[in-house]
Amino acid sequence: MTLEAVGFWVVAVVLLASSLAVVLTPNLFHAVLYLAAALVATGAIFLLLEQPFLFAVQLLLYAGGVVTIVVFAIMLTERLIGERVRQTSRHLVNGAIVAAAVFAGIAGFLLRSPLATPRPGPVDDATVAIGRALVGPFAVTLELLGVLLVTALLGALYFARSDE
Amino acid sequence: MIGLSSYLVLAALMFSIGLFGVLTRRNAVGILLGIELMLNAVNINLVAFARFHGDLLGLVFTLFTLSITVAEVAVGLAIVIVIFRVRRTVEADRLDLLRW
Amino acid sequence: MTPDVALPLLVLALPFAAFLLLAVVGPLRRTGRPAGLVSIAAIAISFAAALTVWARELVAERTWGWIPADGGPIATVGVLVDPLANAMLVLVTLVALLVQVYSLAYLGDERPGALGRYYTYQSLFVFSMLGLVLAPGFVQMFVFWELVGLCSYLLIGFWYERPAAARAAVKAFWITKLGDVGFIVGIVLLWSATGTFEFTDLFEKAQANALAVPGLATIMFLIYLGAVGKSAQFPLHVWLPDAMEGPTPVSALIHAATMVTAGVYMVTRTEPLFALVPEVLTLIAWVGAFTALLAATMACVEGDIKRVLAYSTVSQLGYMMAAAGAGASPAGFLHLLTHGLFKALLFLAAGAVIHAVGTNDIFRMGGLFRAMPQTAVVFVVGTLALAGVPPLAGFFSKEAVLGGVWEAHLTGPFLMLALTALLTAFYMFRVVFVAFFGRAHAGGHPHEAPWLMRGPLWLLAILTLAVGIRLALGGGEAHEEAPGWLPPLSVGLATVGFVLAWAMYQRGAVDPARVAAVLRPLDYLARRRYGLDGLYAGVYRGIILGLSRLIGWIDRYLVDGILNALTALTLRAGDALRYIQSGRAQDYVYGVAFGVLLLFVWAQLWRR
Repeated sequence: MTLEAVGFWVVAVVLLASSLAVVLTPNLFHAVLYLAAALVATGAIFLLLEQPFLFAVQLLLYAGGVVTIVVFAIMLTERLIGERVRQTSRHLVNGAIVAAAVFAGIAGFLLRSPLATPRPGPVDDATVAIGRALVGPFAVTLELLGVLLVTALLGALYFARSDE
Repeated sequence: MIGLSSYLVLAALMFSIGLFGVLTRRNAVGILLGIELMLNAVNINLVAFARFHGDLLGLVFTLFTLSITVAEVAVGLAIVIVIFRVRRTVEADRLDLLRW
Repeated sequence: MTPDVALPLLVLALPFAAFLLLAVVGPLRRTGRPAGLVSIAAIAISFAAALTVWARELVAERTWGWIPADGGPIATVGVLVDPLANAMLVLVTLVALLVQVYSLAYLGDERPGALGRYYTYQSLFVFSMLGLVLAPGFVQMFVFWELVGLCSYLLIGFWYERPAAARAAVKAFWITKLGDVGFIVGIVLLWSATGTFEFTDLFEKAQANALAVPGLATIMFLIYLGAVGKSAQFPLHVWLPDAMEGPTPVSALIHAATMVTAGVYMVTRTEPLFALVPEVLTLIAWVGAFTALLAATMACVEGDIKRVLAYSTVSQLGYMMAAAGAGASPAGFLHLLTHGLFKALLFLAAGAVIHAVGTNDIFRMGGLFRAMPQTAVVFVVGTLALAGVPPLAGFFSKEAVLGGVWEAHLTGPFLMLALTALLTAFYMFRVVFVAFFGRAHAGGHPHEAPWLMRGPLWLLAILTLAVGIRLALGGGEAHEEAPGWLPPLSVGLATVGFVLAWAMYQRGAVDPARVAAVLRPLDYLARRRYGLDGLYAGVYRGIILGLSRLIGWIDRYLVDGILNALTALTLRAGDALRYIQSGRAQDYVYGVAFGVLLLFVWAQLWRR
């Protein structure tokens, strides 16, 4: 078993475990923390796929950004309610069946697809190439993305503003 | 050797878990968390394909997905807060104003 | 445009111009009397032009292409003037002019709007009739043929507030349509056999024996069917008596002098074609003679003065048709012309009487000779002409018809027509004696009609006499040489009819009721119009209404039912399915998930 395989299995177990914890834990705050773990594990997957740049982005944006926002939101609502927000679930069986069915569908699809398994040799750091692509062919998309983020920011501000 | 399908199956599992969360969570914030999981599964797919096919496009798209996800979370949480202010609840199955 | 067709075109155009003016300029139409004057002025000039055309004995043809197609137009429009059309032009414009003048007084009590409408229809009718007369081919003739039918419908239903008038208008329209179907089918068949609608071409082909197409007899029979409807031949004659619901001047113009003779005119016009099919001609003669006799018997028991005249018209149309069928179409056409004069006279005189006493029932008149001597005199003149008493116009034309039928060795029709002549004299003098002589029944004080009505009456009476004298002097067309015993016979028949009427209704020597008792079955049948109206009504009720009900049922319960069921189903389904819209986002996510699963299944099973 190579180092990569060991790494993959470890990361996979962490990832799945923390994901399950996200959707199952009754404590919303804990769920967010498990989400952070899952996100970091995803970043680790990126590392396994030799994409350190994406790993960095994942850490900064998700673990740093998203999780923080969610924590803020939870604290805000808890303050408003004045008690701890309980995280309950419903129709667990139905959800499990449907989710399992979707997984079965995807897995069945994957098994029957001829996937190019051989992995190309180690590659150079893709950061430069990504950067060139972003200001080259995807420049307009990048700008639009900027507009989207600004819009989202303003929208969120508008929604969350206090009434007065 | 860890092949492409291993990554894909892992992503599929994560996606299904996320879906399960979306389907079962009562709290709107919980649903958002499920959505985050699903999006991350997609990202894993994109990066894995990009890596195994030696294609840059998947990476670029991953960046875009990440950014958009952040925006989505921001707006989604803002909406949750507004809903909470108006209806005094974040229970998703009690937010059925749009029903028949 | 050559000058020789300018005049006929003028004749045609003026009534149309009057119609357009009245139809488009509403304020003018609603003034009533001035509108009538416009129409009268147009028709007067038209009449003068027609008279000029006739006096010049114009023969010309001018056509313009219509319905363009590869290799020349399929049909043409235009004018075709020859002696036949000339005489008809004069008759139509003359009677129309007199009738319109007469109507000014007769319909003077109408609302101005209604009067304007009346004159609008009148102008349209005159235009249509003239267009029919001048038609150079079957297509134009058919178009105008339908137009006069439309005008007839409009004018019969002039008092459309009366249910009887509205019903009569519809009845006239549909029954003539029955014949028209045959007409148009015949025209089209003839065209497909010969490739032309034009009379001139057809006649040339007939002359050159190039018309021996198979089924020509059938074609000509179908064309004849149009005449059966229009000219009220048995068995489609039932509409004409009912058409008397229209104003009397309308009856005089349309249902006596002009439109109903269109069928005769058509047969006369296309005589070279009919001459090729002797079997159809024989049929025409028999049907004509039978119609004449049948209508005459019905006239004998009718009490409504206008209906008597209507049956008389049917009967005389039978005469004309019989003559045409016997190959003596000039005689038939001559009878058409003279009959147009004296029947218009009779109708207008009857209108004057009705105007004065306010009823159509001759048994509620009586003694009118004293109250309105002038009307009585002209009515008697018309009666004598119709009965065939020399030297009035009717005598010569009727004799010519009888002679023509005899010459053709059609003994059966001849006998029927001879009997009809007797009956004609009888029923006409019956009206004269009952209405104008005898004891006065009418309440109120009948008075002579105004001069606007009397003028046309006198003019027509004088014309009837003048034409008769001119025919007596042997002028004009040389008609069929009849056997020497014919004039005494027809005069004798008329005399017998006169004496019978006198004995029964004036002298009282014979009680009409006893005669009726002796001839009970005939009387019974004639009073019930030989059950024909009942038969039509039965057919209508039984078949057409039954079919309509069936179709109505299918429409209401099958077609609508399916639609209603679909609608109800949709509504119910929507009612049931709307609960899917729970409004909860997660339920929708279930939907998305199921959709994805479906896609997987589809990909697994079918996509390969």
